[in-house]
Amino acid sequence: MRSSNSTSHGNVLSKLPEWFGGIMGGSGASGRGKNATAAPESAVATALEPEAVTVPDEPVFNGGVQSVVDDMLSQSRYALLLRPQLVKNLAPEQLSRTRAALSDNMCLVPEGQVMLRSGQGNDKDAAETAMLHLEAYYLDRYPVTNAQFQHFVSAGGYEQMAIWDPEIWPALLDFVDLTGHPGPRYWRGGRFPRGEEKLPVVGVSWYEAVAYARWVGKRLPSDAEWVKAGSWPVSIEGHPLLQRRYPWGDAMDRTRANLWGSGPGKPVSVYEFQGGVSVGGVHQLIGNVWEWTADALAFEPDAAEGASGQAKLKSMRGGAFDTYLDCQATCHFRSADTALARKHNIGFRCAINLRDLDCGGGDESSAEEEEQVATPIAEDRT
Amino acid sequence: MSRGVALELDSMRLAHYGNQIPCLICNEGNTPDAESCRNCFAPMILAHQARSKHTKPVMFAALGPSGVGKTVYLGMLLDMLSRQPKHLQLSARGGFSVTLQHSTLAALSRCEFPTKTPNEPDRWNWVHCQLRSPRHRQPVEMVLPDMAGEALFEEVDHPRSYRVIHAMLTRCDGVMILIDGTKLQSGSLDEDYFTMKLLSHLTEMGDDPKSSWAMRPVALIFSKADQCDSCFEDPPAYAQRHAPGLYRICQQRFHRHRFFAAGVAGACAVKKEPGAEKQKVPLRVEPRGIIEPFEWLVDNLRS
Repeated sequence: MRSSNSTSHGNVLSKLPEWFGGIMGGSGASGRGKNATAAPESAVATALEPEAVTVPDEPVFNGGVQSVVDDMLSQSRYALLLRPQLVKNLAPEQLSRTRAALSDNMCLVPEGQVMLRSGQGNDKDAAETAMLHLEAYYLDRYPVTNAQFQHFVSAGGYEQMAIWDPEIWPALLDFVDLTGHPGPRYWRGGRFPRGEEKLPVVGVSWYEAVAYARWVGKRLPSDAEWVKAGSWPVSIEGHPLLQRRYPWGDAMDRTRANLWGSGPGKPVSVYEFQGGVSVGGVHQLIGNVWEWTADALAFEPDAAEGASGQAKLKSMRGGAFDTYLDCQATCHFRSADTALARKHNIGFRCAINLRDLDCGGGDESSAEEEEQVATPIAEDRT
Repeated sequence: MSRGVALELDSMRLAHYGNQIPCLICNEGNTPDAESCRNCFAPMILAHQARSKHTKPVMFAALGPSGVGKTVYLGMLLDMLSRQPKHLQLSARGGFSVTLQHSTLAALSRCEFPTKTPNEPDRWNWVHCQLRSPRHRQPVEMVLPDMAGEALFEEVDHPRSYRVIHAMLTRCDGVMILIDGTKLQSGSLDEDYFTMKLLSHLTEMGDDPKSSWAMRPVALIFSKADQCDSCFEDPPAYAQRHAPGLYRICQQRFHRHRFFAAGVAGACAVKKEPGAEKQKVPLRVEPRGIIEPFEWLVDNLRS
C-alpha cells in the first residue's frame, strides 16, 4: 500500500497559493501555520466556506502539482477537490477522474422524506415517529477502511489541530494504538495489522471519525441520512411512507449481513456480503461494524464506565458482527456509545451534501448519477 | 357399595402417597403430586424428569451478589447454546426450562434488563436440559437454577436459612461466580469481600476431601466486562490488580479455578422518562465471553 506523509505534502503544497493550505485542513505549509494559531473550529469552517477564499482565474493543478491531485485522489479526498472553490482549477482530465472517484465511492441519495423513530428506534418505539425532509446528499458506499484511514494517520492527521474539536484537544494524546503511536486503538506502530487493509477501521472514537471526515472534506451522516440511505423510503400520495426494515427488504436474511451466527465472528472486508447492498448501492449498512453518526442520544451515560463514560452519548447504527438480536440490526434501530469509546466493533462512513460539491451544475452528470441510482431499484424489483 | 369403592380408592391413594419421591436437590421425600419440594421449594418436576431418564443430572449454579448479572448471563448462555450449531448444544427438557432464556431475551430485545429475581425459591426459574458436547458420547442431563443474590448471601451469612441453596451447593458439580467488573474497576472493595465470603463458605462445606470444593471446578467471571474492556485482555491479571484478596484465596484453596470476563450489553445508559424513575438500559446486545466459562466447567467435570 502506498503511504504518504505530511512532509512530502508540505513540499508540494508550498507551491500552491495560500488559500489552498486552508482548504487542506492544515496540511499545507501556509495553512498549517495559520491554523496552529487560529481557533480550530472556525478555521475549519472558514476553510470549507465557499465565500472565504479567492478563486484564481487560471487552473493551478497542472504541471508540478499534478501529483497533489493524484495524492488527494489516492487518499480518497476527492470531495475536497470537488468543492466549488477548487473545482475550476482542475484540468478536464483531473476533473473527470475526480468525478469518477466520487461516483465510484459515494452514492447519491435523492432529496425526500424519511421517517425516524424516537428513542432507540426498536419496535417498542415504533409508535413515536418523526417525519423529516432531507436535501440530496452523498453517502459513502462502504465503511471507511483501514487502508483509507492509514492515509490520515500517515499524513499526520492526529497532529492537525484544525480538524479536531477544541473540546477534545486534551484527549488527543490518549488516541493512540497498542504501541503508543497516534492511531486507532488496535493498530501497532501507527499501522494497521497486516492483511487488514480492506477491513473497516475500528477502535476509533467519535471524535476521530469526525476528524477523518473533515480531513477528506466530508462529515458524518446524520441519523436521518443514514436511515434514508438504508430504508430508501418511497412516498406515494395518499399512503403512509413506505420504508424498508432492512436495505434489502422487510425480512431478515442473515446471508446478507455479517452478524452473530452468520459470519466468522469478526469484521470482514467491506467488499463482502454484497447481497446486503441497499437500493441506492450502499454496502454493509447492516452488520460488520456499527457506524457512528453525527447525532446524539438523549440518554445519560452510565456512570459505571468511569471517566470516559461521562462523555456524551453519540448515536450509531447498523449492528456489527457480534450483534445478537435481529431486531437490533435494522435500519430503524439506534444504539449509542460514549463519544470517547474506541471499541472493536465501531467504525464509520462519511457523507456530504450534494450542494456542497460542484458536480457539473445539475446537467448531464447529475442525470447520469440519477440513472445509476435508478438502475438497482429496477433490478431489485425484478 | 359406593362407600366400599370409595374406601378402596382412598387406600390406593394412601399407598401411592406412601411411595414418596425424593427431591432432586435436597433428597427429601415428597408426594407424587407435589409441585415443589416441601422442604426446599425446588420444583418437583426436576425429580420426575430425572427419574424418567434413570441418570443423575449434572448440576451447575451461578452465584454472586444481587445485581451482578446472573439472570442476564444465564439467560444469554442458554439462548446461545440452544442456537449455535456446533460445539456445546443445549436442548431444554420441558417448557419451564425455556422460561429463563425467553424472559431474559424478551427484556433485552426491548432494551431493558430483566426484572430482579425474587427471593422466594418457589419463584425462581430452573432449567433442566440435555447437553451435547464433543467430550461426551451421550447427552448429559443438566440442572441449573437462577438463584436470587440476596437469598444467596442470606444463606452465606446464616447457613441453612435457605435449604435449597445449601442443598444445591452441597450437590452441584461446579459453579460460576460472577463478580461485577465495573465495581472493581471503580475501586469498590465490596465485590472482593462478597466473593471472598462466598468462597470461604464453599470451602467449609462438606467433610469428604474428595468431594470438597477445593477439587470442584470454579469459574470466576467478571461480568459487565463490556464496560471495562481491560477485563477481556487478561482476566487473572485484572483479578490480581483489582481483587487481591479474592485472587489469593483462589490460589490457595481452589485447585481448579479460572478467571474469565463476560459481557452481554455492548454499552449501557440511564434513561429518564417523564413520570418514571431513572432506569439503566442496555443499548444493544453483543454477547462476549459468555460460553467460554461454561465450556471450561463442562470440560472439567469429574468423570
